[in-house]
Amino acid sequence: MAHESQDAFVQSRQPRWAELDRLLDGRLLHRHDGVTIARVASLYRVVCGDLMRARGARYTPDLIAYLDRLVSRGHNAVYTSRSTRLPTFLRDVFFTFPQTLRKNWVFFALSCALFCIPLVVGLVGAYGSRDFATDVIPASQLQQMVDNYSTGFDEGRATGADTSMAGFYIRNNIGIAFRCFATGILFCLGSVFFLIYNGLVIGAVTGFVSAAGYGHNILTFMCGHAPFELTAILISGGAGLQMGWALVDTKGLTRVGSLRTAAPDLARLIVGAAFMLLIAAFIEGFWSPSSVPPPVKWAVATMLTLMVAGYLAFAGRGREAPR
Amino acid sequence: MAIDKLDTAADIETPEHVYFQRPIAGPSRRIFAYAIDILIRGAVLAVFMVLLMMTSVATPDDLTEASMGLVMVAFFVLEWGYFVFFEMFFAGRSPGKMASKLRVVTGTGQPLGLYDSVLRNLLRAADIFPTAYAVGLLVMARDRRFRRLGDLVAGTMVVHEGVSDVSGPLIIHPPPTPQELASLPGRLPLAREDLDAIELFLRRAQSLNPARAYELAEMVAPIYAERLGLHPRNPWRFLQVLYARARPAPMTGAGGPVYGGRHR
Repeated sequence: MAHESQDAFVQSRQPRWAELDRLLDGRLLHRHDGVTIARVASLYRVVCGDLMRARGARYTPDLIAYLDRLVSRGHNAVYTSRSTRLPTFLRDVFFTFPQTLRKNWVFFALSCALFCIPLVVGLVGAYGSRDFATDVIPASQLQQMVDNYSTGFDEGRATGADTSMAGFYIRNNIGIAFRCFATGILFCLGSVFFLIYNGLVIGAVTGFVSAAGYGHNILTFMCGHAPFELTAILISGGAGLQMGWALVDTKGLTRVGSLRTAAPDLARLIVGAAFMLLIAAFIEGFWSPSSVPPPVKWAVATMLTLMVAGYLAFAGRGREAPR
Repeated sequence: MAIDKLDTAADIETPEHVYFQRPIAGPSRRIFAYAIDILIRGAVLAVFMVLLMMTSVATPDDLTEASMGLVMVAFFVLEWGYFVFFEMFFAGRSPGKMASKLRVVTGTGQPLGLYDSVLRNLLRAADIFPTAYAVGLLVMARDRRFRRLGDLVAGTMVVHEGVSDVSGPLIIHPPPTPQELASLPGRLPLAREDLDAIELFLRRAQSLNPARAYELAEMVAPIYAERLGLHPRNPWRFLQVLYARARPAPMTGAGGPVYGGRHR
């Protein structure tokens, strides 16, 4: 092929570059009519060829940079990623999330152990010994908790206080769960720490308040939202452990490659957990502190626990397993 | 290519087996964008609180407690949802990134999906650890594409979409004389990369202090002078003439080539 001078090259191709430039500038590609889409696609491929030819013919860097940019814009318009549509998203949350959890049950079990053993230690320790409790949590904060739970919820709370507490729980508890997850990337260490720490603190508070004689109040308060909240924290922690473990046992991949392999599962788990936490926050803000008699609260709590357990154990069985 | 090693750009290969490059954004630009986002979040929260205060002035104090709750929820939503929201609805750009011309894309240069965005933004909790994104910066420094932990897990990267003006042809001033051109051999031992490097230098030299440009030329010119067996008196001028000789001036009119209007 004869060598084409840069000027001749530019002159003959410029109209189609300008056309592609114009078409890419307007609305998103899928909002155009079919003829235009086809035109963009074919123009894009031709300009790809122009870029390669310009590189091969050693034209000036500014021309190559210009074509580079045009091709990159065309590429982004033509090859978009699949967008997340609502039905797909809901299916993911309702079916794929429990499937994914069951597939990676080892990490969930590990997370449960890391959380529950300190929980029992904290509970028994703080119930039996005041010194143990004050070693874990400052005495002033413990006294504050006792004061909170000394009156019970026979009167309920003012509605304003409900909203205020719901807001506080949303920010605090979902934050805890997300942190349990994210810090797992530090080779599991963060998740391990936050799971043990939160288990110990929750156990110690419950144990201390029980020792002060208000155990019934705090347990009745917690029973409604615990199935959602604690489970979600455990799932987040498990996902964090899974992420950290992907860095340790790479199964022959690079560390980044191993992380990327685990990523789809991790994303489903954490989004599912976030939904559970949102439900928990509303129960914790409005239902748990309400003046509903304790037997009703316990009955509802039992029902919710069975519901969560059944959902996680059975939802999505028989459907196509997640990739 | 020698240029690849200096520039931080990601080569992206299209299904047409054509590759193009996207310049990767470094930490300084990203910190600047993040600062803008923080300010915007603070401003939104402040406006929200003022609105709530105005409504609670007129109503009993039950509402003030309720509004505390709403502030907490707003804080939470801004803390964890702000980036995901904008990355989803504005094709990978939060307001701070728009202002500093950055965009989050996947490793193959495509727009990122919901799960990608959730992962990269949740992992801020790890990148920010123990304080001021210390872990994130450390990880970025080790990575060729300046990815923090969140980017590594989500498979994303942040690219810079600066304005690329197509510059006019490089004008050698004063124009090389025929004698100067004749002093060089007919066939130049220059690879395309050499020529590109010389062009980049000459363009850059226009914005440099002349003494500095001369100094730099003194370091570069001997490489080519040696190949040609020449001993130029003025290294800067030597590079100019070499360039003019190797790449004939374009024939277009005074304005230089115009490729296609505006450039992003």
